[in-house]
Amino acid sequence: MPVRLVHWLLAGLIAFSWWSVHNHHTDWHIWSGCAILTLLLFRLLWGFVGSSTARFSSFVRGPGAVLRYLRGGWSGIGHTPLGAVSVIALFLAVAVQVGLGLFSEDEDGLYLGPLARLINPDTSDKIRDIHETWFNVLLGLIVLHVGAIIFYRFLGKHLTKPMITGRAALDPGVAPMRRGKWWVALICLAVAVGVTRWIIGGAPPFSS
Amino acid sequence: MRVALLSVIAIGLIAAAPSRDRALKIMHERHEGMETIGDANKVLRRELAGSSPNLGAVRSSAAGIANLSRKASGWFPKGTGRELGKTGAKPEIWQNWPDFTGKLHNFQGAAKAFDAAAKSGNLNTIKARYADLGGTCKACHDKYRAEMHH
Repeated sequence: MPVRLVHWLLAGLIAFSWWSVHNHHTDWHIWSGCAILTLLLFRLLWGFVGSSTARFSSFVRGPGAVLRYLRGGWSGIGHTPLGAVSVIALFLAVAVQVGLGLFSEDEDGLYLGPLARLINPDTSDKIRDIHETWFNVLLGLIVLHVGAIIFYRFLGKHLTKPMITGRAALDPGVAPMRRGKWWVALICLAVAVGVTRWIIGGAPPFSS
Repeated sequence: MRVALLSVIAIGLIAAAPSRDRALKIMHERHEGMETIGDANKVLRRELAGSSPNLGAVRSSAAGIANLSRKASGWFPKGTGRELGKTGAKPEIWQNWPDFTGKLHNFQGAAKAFDAAAKSGNLNTIKARYADLGGTCKACHDKYRAEMHH
């Protein structure tokens, strides 16, 4: 459940971030970015202590496994080795975008990212330029991701439904998912929110 | 106050469009002027967000913005839009001239008030007038400035 929630909230927030900044709501854009930061932090933690399918150790594999999967030699539950590459790529791309945003400011200097105060305006402006350009990388990955899901649909694999309901048919011989503990999820959320609040506050003691 | 507003409108309507060379020069001056205002604002934003703002830097930035705001009256003659070159100034400026000049006038008033507040040294007043000033920047830009990619 947390994985599904994070996924769809992330998709919605990324869309909202794009819309808000292009419609003169840079203040909402910054809040949206902070919300994304919280989600990323949560998912990172959950990837170590969460449900069996959420854990990075359960689906992140090396190139050998990806090749074996492509030759038809994989069965399991949750993300395939190739899917895992997609998860990592998208996660990193979003993390880079958020990281750049933290230090950005708008063209007029009316809106500062949470950590923009720590650096001089010229650097902040340059970072903003990269933040704007990097979105194209993220968009490319998103298009690839959606394209892949549609492609798999034609191969008979329905991937969207399990991402909503959390239920999918298992290959024979595959163990079902072990749920994560709800109180562990709450702790991860609390830590994620706490770190985000610290960053919003300018990351003391780095700023006075 | 109304006389000033009416005269700005009158000047805009009556003044003949400048020659091509003069228009390009004005566009360049406008671009540089706006960038200088932006740079001054970025210094201000950081100073006023800190725990002990440097009043000298605040005053110098405030005076600079007030000075440029007065010059801005001459930055938007007819013929200095996209038809001549790359600019963030949208055609809507000249299509809605009274509204645009109203917003320009608000900016000039806010810049003057902020400059006075900076000279007074009262931090609460400075922050309040600064917020007003930012509001006037945004009000005009949201409607009349296009996104520019350098």
